[in-house]
Amino acid sequence: MITLQHFMLVSALLFCIGLFIIVSKKNAIQILIGIELMLNAAILNLVAFGRYDRINNGGQMFALFAIVLAAATTAVALAIILNVYRRYKTIDADKINQLKD
Amino acid sequence: MNPITLHTDAQTVTLAIIAVALPFAAFVVNFLLLGKSKASGWVSTLAILGSAVLSLNVFFRVWDNHTIHMQQLWFTIGATKVQVGVLLNNLSVLMLVLVSLIALPVHIYSTAYMKDDAGYSRYFRYLSFFCFSMLALVVVDSLITFYAFWELVGFSSYLLIGFWYDRDSAVQANKKAFIMNRIGDIGLLTAIIILFTQFGTFDLYELFKDGGLVAHSFFINGEWAAGLNYIPSVWHYIAFGGIFLAVAAKSAQFPLHTWLPDAMEGPTSVSALIHAATMVAAGVFLLGRVYPMFNEAELTTLAIVGCFTAFMAATIALTQNDLKRILAYSTISQLGYMVMAMGVGAYSSSLFHLVTHAFFKCLLFLVAGVVIHQIKHIKEDNSLDIDPQDIRHMGGLRKKLPLTFIAVLIAGLALVGLPLTSGFLSKDGILIQAFDWADGRSFMLSIIPIMALLTSWLTAFYVARLIFKVFFGELRLLKAFPSLQIHIGDGHWAYKLPLILLALCCLFPLFSLNPFSYETSWLYEAFAPKHAAEGQSIYHLVIPALVSVVSLVIIFCAYVLYIKRGDGMVVKNGLLFRISYNEWYIDRFYKRIIVKFVIWLSGVLYWVDRKVIDGFIHLLEKIGLAIAKATAWCDKYIVDGVLWLAAELVQYIGNFARRFQGGKVQYYLYSMLLAVIAVFILKLIWA
Repeated sequence: MITLQHFMLVSALLFCIGLFIIVSKKNAIQILIGIELMLNAAILNLVAFGRYDRINNGGQMFALFAIVLAAATTAVALAIILNVYRRYKTIDADKINQLKD
Repeated sequence: MNPITLHTDAQTVTLAIIAVALPFAAFVVNFLLLGKSKASGWVSTLAILGSAVLSLNVFFRVWDNHTIHMQQLWFTIGATKVQVGVLLNNLSVLMLVLVSLIALPVHIYSTAYMKDDAGYSRYFRYLSFFCFSMLALVVVDSLITFYAFWELVGFSSYLLIGFWYDRDSAVQANKKAFIMNRIGDIGLLTAIIILFTQFGTFDLYELFKDGGLVAHSFFINGEWAAGLNYIPSVWHYIAFGGIFLAVAAKSAQFPLHTWLPDAMEGPTSVSALIHAATMVAAGVFLLGRVYPMFNEAELTTLAIVGCFTAFMAATIALTQNDLKRILAYSTISQLGYMVMAMGVGAYSSSLFHLVTHAFFKCLLFLVAGVVIHQIKHIKEDNSLDIDPQDIRHMGGLRKKLPLTFIAVLIAGLALVGLPLTSGFLSKDGILIQAFDWADGRSFMLSIIPIMALLTSWLTAFYVARLIFKVFFGELRLLKAFPSLQIHIGDGHWAYKLPLILLALCCLFPLFSLNPFSYETSWLYEAFAPKHAAEGQSIYHLVIPALVSVVSLVIIFCAYVLYIKRGDGMVVKNGLLFRISYNEWYIDRFYKRIIVKFVIWLSGVLYWVDRKVIDGFIHLLEKIGLAIAKATAWCDKYIVDGVLWLAAELVQYIGNFARRFQGGKVQYYLYSMLLAVIAVFILKLIWA
């Protein structure tokens, strides 16, 4: 059967994959995908641990809340990427180094 | 010092100062305003005329009157006050008049003699400068100023000897004169320092007046005492030695006389003024100034040296062929007489002879100038290659130059010391007193007056030889070159006037009304000690007669030798002839021994300088260089190295840290991740 441990392994795997994508990929869209993966790993954990609260279903509820928030942040991030592209004509993260100032 | 300065005294001093300053003014005017103008000769002559008139005025005010001494504070060093002033006594006014009176005819003569010379105005500049120095020398009152003018006199003599500086011989001669005089100057300076140490003053009047500081000093237990000052008496002899050196250098006495014959390279008028009449008498004048200082032994030394110089120079003059060289040695000989006279205590006769000698020797030189000038004319008219000063070319000039001949006759007789001339009075005075002095002294010392007497006979011979060879017989040039064009004569009045003036001064009436007794001369009486016993020894009769008669015989011998039989009779290769002709080998001795030694010594010193001193300095230099190099290395690699290391480290760290702030989002994330992992690892290790 599928135990809590399996959920946590999958979740950790997802988190690591997301993290790897964030630090290694150059494309801003890919980085955004990495971020989504990490977020989903966290949500998976919330859902998995939600079985300890069967009365209020707090885990489920919080997961739903986080998904909505994630959708919102993704929209904002995409808007930022669009603006960045307009300004720099690129979405390569290495080439956008204006943060150092 | 005289506390009450009379108005007339002040006037006299002013006149004396103006007399001294006039030639200097002429020098300045010539130097600054006239340039190469021919007017310079007349400016100088007018100045010396003014000096002569003022000097005569001063002379009649001071002569046989009281001494005038005025001074003013010059400067103070510590407690020593150095005064500058004027001292007018019999000696100084006599010299004042003598110098200006001799200089006047020489100036007039020079305007004609130097007329065609390119350095005409330079000549008068120097001449005026010399007159100023010499006149100042005789009137100053302190040893310091005396020394200064003593040097200036020597310097102007140096300038005038080397007047024709494009001739090598003239340059050599003035160098020689200068070096010889330096030796004397060192002596004088030594003596001045010793006198100052002993007496604490430079004042000539305080030191040497009757009953002055020097007169009060005495010897006790081998010490020389003056007041409370005691110094070993050897210093007295060193001071004497210094003064003697000074006298020997200036007045051409034995060890230092060799510069004077060479000094004849200067213009003849200069030789007449400086190297016969005035400057060379400065040594005798110095003896007169410091006379009270000498003791018995020192005076005897002076007498011996003077006598030897007189004799030696007279023997050399016998065989010389250069007209001016004969006269130069004759000057040395007569100066030797004066120094000897100082030595035997004939103070007044010495000064008397100084004055008379100045006139007749100046006249002889002016005559030589005329003769040389005329021979030069012949030489240039006929373009011959001869030495115009060589008496072997001359002869028979008596008919061509009648006035010159009379002048040389008078001067020559005065030099020999025949009656009716001034030389008779002064020379016999010296000889008689020398014999008086030798009476009762040891046998060795009685040689001195005999040598002096012998010298006076030698003088008769060389004077006769000179006059016979130049003025009698036939012109020898005419024999060698029969086709000569000769038109020569006495020349114009600027030649004649000085000759006449000086010839008159060579006769007895100027000095004494009685032509046979030097003791009645006003000049002798003024200097002679008043209390001296009137020694009427046998010598007063014998000596003048002996001198005159034997001199006449010798002159006759010379006449026979040179006129009747021609030149052939003279032995030309005897030992004595060679000694005389080569000037006693003194110059050669100096050149071989002293000059060579000095050059060798300077070679050694040069070597020491090059190798030892320079070597040492080079060693120091190398050591310094090595140390500097080591320090530079240390600086570069150790001190700088530490700094560099610090800087590099900081830079490295900076560069390292900078990488995290590159502005790339992923780097930030990456480093954050690393930090988190590091925290976890550390937690694992410690937990």
